[in-house]
Amino acid sequence: MSILGTLLRRQDLHSLAAPYALDALEAGERRRFEKHLRGCARCAAEVRELGEDAVRLAWSTAAPAPAALRERVLAAVRTTAQEQAMDRTAAREHAPQLPPHVWGAQPPPGRTRTPRTRSLFVPLATATAAAALVVASLFAVQAHRTEDRLDAERSRAREIAHVLAASDARAVTSEDARGRGIGVIASASAGEAVVTLGGYGAPPGGRVRQLWLMRPRVQPRSLGLFAADTPLVAKGLDASSTSLAVTVEPAGGSAQPTGQPIVQLTLKSVGFGE
Amino acid sequence: MRADELLLLVAGGDHRAFEELYALVSGPVYGLVRRVVRDAAQSEEVAQEVLLELWRSAARFDPGRGSALSWILTLAHRRAVDRVRSARAAGEREQREALRAGEPAFDQVAEEVEAGMEREWVRRCLRRLTDLQRQSVTLAYYDGYTYREVAERLALPLGTVKTRMRDGLTRLRECLGGAV
Repeated sequence: MSILGTLLRRQDLHSLAAPYALDALEAGERRRFEKHLRGCARCAAEVRELGEDAVRLAWSTAAPAPAALRERVLAAVRTTAQEQAMDRTAAREHAPQLPPHVWGAQPPPGRTRTPRTRSLFVPLATATAAAALVVASLFAVQAHRTEDRLDAERSRAREIAHVLAASDARAVTSEDARGRGIGVIASASAGEAVVTLGGYGAPPGGRVRQLWLMRPRVQPRSLGLFAADTPLVAKGLDASSTSLAVTVEPAGGSAQPTGQPIVQLTLKSVGFGE
Repeated sequence: MRADELLLLVAGGDHRAFEELYALVSGPVYGLVRRVVRDAAQSEEVAQEVLLELWRSAARFDPGRGSALSWILTLAHRRAVDRVRSARAAGEREQREALRAGEPAFDQVAEEVEAGMEREWVRRCLRRLTDLQRQSVTLAYYDGYTYREVAERLALPLGTVKTRMRDGLTRLRECLGGAV
């Protein structure tokens, strides 16, 4: 195709943004335009804006759905599996970053290799919903759970959703050579963080894992005990919060840590510690 | 809870969150589908597909790219348009239109059921568009016609229709921007 032809064609594609936003393209044209969108940031932004405008037209159409529809949908949902979107993670790899050793002079034990720290470094909302799902999926409601437990899980899930919904929510994860690690999604404005441990298994001899908030020149503050694999919602974090650490403690937890941390993670990349 | 938070919980398999989400969005979804598809039985089918798809594909929702409600309604609109086009292609439309000739337009029926503020705002803003802008936008969005079909119906060149659609949407944005 001639250069002029190419230019004309591109011009032509640009002009399809409004029809596309209104779903007014034929199937083949729609596919071509979507292909074009993937390589045209300007068009993608424009289409997103026009799409928001088009959705406003739906404001005037709401009407109560037939009652029978609800039963049919809920029944179908009970037997329908969900897609997992984890592979869509747009996490950007960054240079490895070492947690600062605010825990005293000795390095944490049990580490033979430098842990890999992966930081998303971008607001969670713009990164991807997948990061949120790492946490959300841990709450996948199992059919055999009791009602009480369901309620407890739901209220925790809400607390987690609260952190995730914060406009400044950010995620950071750290993993050692054996695949054990800690994941944190935190919101500096809410002063809250969702903390998950992975790959550690059950602590030995009825002991528990306790989460600590580390601040310079201040005693560690307990943020709670981990129960199995469920995430902890840590509250009351502030700008002086430099890192989180996990220790193994006797059943019931301790007032102050009694041993070296098994894992420690700096909060700097999630908006704290400055 | 807002649809955005609920959708995140739904993505994690939370059935009760889905019920809450259903309560929140089934009306907007069904109403939009009904407006485009018109036929009650087919509208119910499409709405069911869409609502089930929310459960199945909740994980695809990306909060960074807009609100959950926009995502949901965009999905519903796409499915409704697909349905109405395939029905038209199958020639069912003429039949249904003949059947409907004596019935009140769906708009009037819906009006009796619900007359929200938002509905009034959208109508008011649509009235502020030029005739061609309004017809181009509504024939596409509410009636599911492609821009080529819109051009044929309005006897306008394709380029003009595309421009009217864009101008219409932009003016709608300016007008409705003050409404929320």
